[in-house]
Amino acid sequence: MATLHMLSHSPFADSRLASCLRLLGAADAILLSGDAVYALQPGTANLQALQLMPASVALYALDEDLTARGMQAPERAQVVDYPGFVELCTRYAKVNSWL
Amino acid sequence: MSKSLLIISRQAPWSGPGAREALDIALAGGAFDLPIGMLFLDDGVFQLSKAQQPGALQQKDLGANLQALPMFGVERLYASQRSLAERGLSDAELNLAVERLDDSALTTLLDHYDQVITL
Amino acid sequence: MSTLNVAGREIALDKDGYLIDLQDWSRPVAEALAAAEALQLSDEHWEVLELLRAFYAEFQLSPANRPLIKYAALKLGTDKGNSLHLNRLFKGTPAKLAAKLAGLPKPTNCL
Repeated sequence: MATLHMLSHSPFADSRLASCLRLLGAADAILLSGDAVYALQPGTANLQALQLMPASVALYALDEDLTARGMQAPERAQVVDYPGFVELCTRYAKVNSWL
Repeated sequence: MSKSLLIISRQAPWSGPGAREALDIALAGGAFDLPIGMLFLDDGVFQLSKAQQPGALQQKDLGANLQALPMFGVERLYASQRSLAERGLSDAELNLAVERLDDSALTTLLDHYDQVITL
Repeated sequence: MSTLNVAGREIALDKDGYLIDLQDWSRPVAEALAAAEALQLSDEHWEVLELLRAFYAEFQLSPANRPLIKYAALKLGTDKGNSLHLNRLFKGTPAKLAAKLAGLPKPTNCL
């Protein structure tokens, strides 16, 4: 029962990402949207934590939120557009939105 | 067979509507006999503190409302061991009987439920 | 919003007939609210109204049907804590009607 965890808040402002990383199952995935894409900021502890995830955990980031913030995804993350986002939601058994 | 739902409540009780909304989902789902579990995580564990006096903020008594969960059929109540420990909350200071789970037990817990929502 | 006259006092009600100020409740008020619903309160009704007030004092909210039945079964036994008994006493909508007569807010988690 793999879960897609959706995050949309900045990891520099609260503990959603940190808590999510602790609860993550081996076959789960993370989708970053909105300010959560700041987690991919180079040279930060947040990006380092994401890089340390097991390879079995997929990491996605929403293209337009990256572009709007002038950011580029590292190799570890796959960039998705909105149709890709919808497709991901259907691919996993459940979606956990960290509201 | 209804789908099971785990509600993760991770907002402090008096900072905004998050804690109240999570409880309302639990009570509404319980009233309809849905299989519901509730997990207190991060600042959400502060909702469980016994010493609260919400009258000071002219708010409804969330602590008293939480006691109603078992009456509404929501009997599976969990809290993150780590979140409680980080915030210095011991069992004696809690207003609700919750099962304390460590991080790996939480991963297993999430896996058990058909749906998960985090507020 | 409307009012209910009880012994010369005007009691404020909301649009669904629930007390605006829960402090206004008294036995004569409950009787007047019941009369407005064409209901004559018996000892069995009072038992449930007192149970609801205890529920509210404990949990600070009005129960939906299911928790009301559960609480009644816990406190009064299953011969009274069942939907048949409560439906018969309160015209098929025990959570809504009994909460009204007990002076509680309208239950929010019951459709």
